Amino acid sequence: MTKRQNAIEVDNLVKVYQTKNRGPLRAVDGISFSVRQGEIFGLLGPNGAGKSTTIKILTTLVLPTSGSARILGHDVVTQPLEVRRQICVVVQENAIELYLSVRNNFRTFGKFHGLSTREVELRCDRVSELFGLREHLGEKGSDLSGGLKRRVQVAKMFLIHKPIVFLDEATTGMDTFNKRATVAAIKEESRKGRTVILTTHMLDEAEELCASLAIVNHGKVIAGGSTDQVKSLGLKLLYLTLSFDKVPERTLKAIQRANPVKIEVRGATVEVTVREEDVALKILNTAKRLGSLKQFEITSASLEDAFVEMIDKKAGAP
Amino acid sequence: MREVLAVVYREYLIRRTSPLWLFFDMAVPLLYLLMFGVAFDKALGAGLSLEGESIQYNQFFLAGVLSMTCFGSAINQSYGFFIDRDNGIFYEFLTYPMTRSQFLMGKILFQCLMSVVQCALTLVLAVAVLDIAIQWEYLPLIVAGVVMGTAGWFFFLAIFAFLIRRNDTFNTAINVAYFVLIFLSTTFYPIDQAPAWLRLSSFLNPLTWHTDTLRFLTVGIGAGGTVLFEAVCFGAFLLVSFWLAVRTLQRAV
Repeated sequence: MTKRQNAIEVDNLVKVYQTKNRGPLRAVDGISFSVRQGEIFGLLGPNGAGKSTTIKILTTLVLPTSGSARILGHDVVTQPLEVRRQICVVVQENAIELYLSVRNNFRTFGKFHGLSTREVELRCDRVSELFGLREHLGEKGSDLSGGLKRRVQVAKMFLIHKPIVFLDEATTGMDTFNKRATVAAIKEESRKGRTVILTTHMLDEAEELCASLAIVNHGKVIAGGSTDQVKSLGLKLLYLTLSFDKVPERTLKAIQRANPVKIEVRGATVEVTVREEDVALKILNTAKRLGSLKQFEITSASLEDAFVEMIDKKAGAP
Repeated sequence: MREVLAVVYREYLIRRTSPLWLFFDMAVPLLYLLMFGVAFDKALGAGLSLEGESIQYNQFFLAGVLSMTCFGSAINQSYGFFIDRDNGIFYEFLTYPMTRSQFLMGKILFQCLMSVVQCALTLVLAVAVLDIAIQWEYLPLIVAGVVMGTAGWFFFLAIFAFLIRRNDTFNTAINVAYFVLIFLSTTFYPIDQAPAWLRLSSFLNPLTWHTDTLRFLTVGIGAGGTVLFEAVCFGAFLLVSFWLAVRTLQRAV
């Protein structure tokens, strides 16, 4: 992949806020990453990690203190208007015109993005169908529930065809069905070639959607790459679930001798966490050899495990 | 231009949702002129003596009503930033494909249209009910004066709306500023006989510049040279406020 095919390039980005009580705060501290065109990229991290500030810089809401960021080749500081012409953004805050109906929310959004009234009406029907908003088109923004407001906000992004979509905690407050519809719509847009950058607290959602991601903490990228690479960057944990009719005492002692990370007995099931494949196989063989093993399952670490592991490690947790 | 018109369209849709708000917007200047103006006109009896000439208070006060209309209109629009910020839509706007100045221009274009309609109704009332003689030959300049006044005050107030994060603080600041600016200006009374400190304050007050200009254009009161100087000063005030408002908006998040 050459550099020309990168939709977003972020290089050593820094944002320092001057706070009244705590002096300068480095919300973003030298972040670098790139996103290929048509890719779904996740920016993950705990609260206050610097994700939203990074998104605010990329969407021209906030100026960086130093470093550079380019959207489809346009610099966010020197060419903000060109950048805005390439992007659409679901900001972290609920953003809806409370005094206007859902239909007029779509109309004004369409007008701002250069759609004719006819185009808005056509797309409005399609988008309201997709997000289950048809019956709410006449309702005022102020009369909608929190989840519905968020749905309108996200639906607007699919009304227009900008090459880059930023979704800052887009599915927050949505119910399962709408979350699924949103995830499906995001995937579909990515297949059509739109680049999607999302921040989310829902790591299962990130794991399902993102081709690559960066984990951010204290304003720095602590891990980045493809989702599989990032998962494997966490401690390589494996989970064994061993089911017995009744857990034999000598099997339990043998498992303990293998020195696993964690062992938990739940009725007739033993859950074992280990770091290496060899240890997992050794425990499995022992359990089989000593008898009465009914069922077993081995799973690798999820993105959430890797995330927790990395954040804890950086925070100095044991 | 498309971007500016999109902002106007949005403002129009919002204003259309509240006919009561629209009604009071239109009615306030009329009520001011009819109630306050007429009452003072009767109380003063023979009227005011200005530069050796005697004029009716209604005639004098008309320009004050027009300049207050522009100021009030600008307050309404600048207060809208707090509503937009509370709705979160303010931040989304700033990611739309338009410049910060286009955003502000769209806001003010709509509000200027409102001010022009308000002032037109006020002038019609002044002629039809209070029998005030208007210099209709200056109508285009009067419209320009109303537009400049609304824009100047809007950009000026927008600076504070972006800097002050709390709407209650903004409200208090605006109420105090409104009170001080109005009573240290020629809005309600001629300043010639006032103490020196009040005359100096009034001379440095953009509301005086605007009111005097409108007074000269509508009813012909004032010295042409002084009014021209005041109009130029107000134009400079408008441009500086616009420049500062755009700069402040860049850092409003």
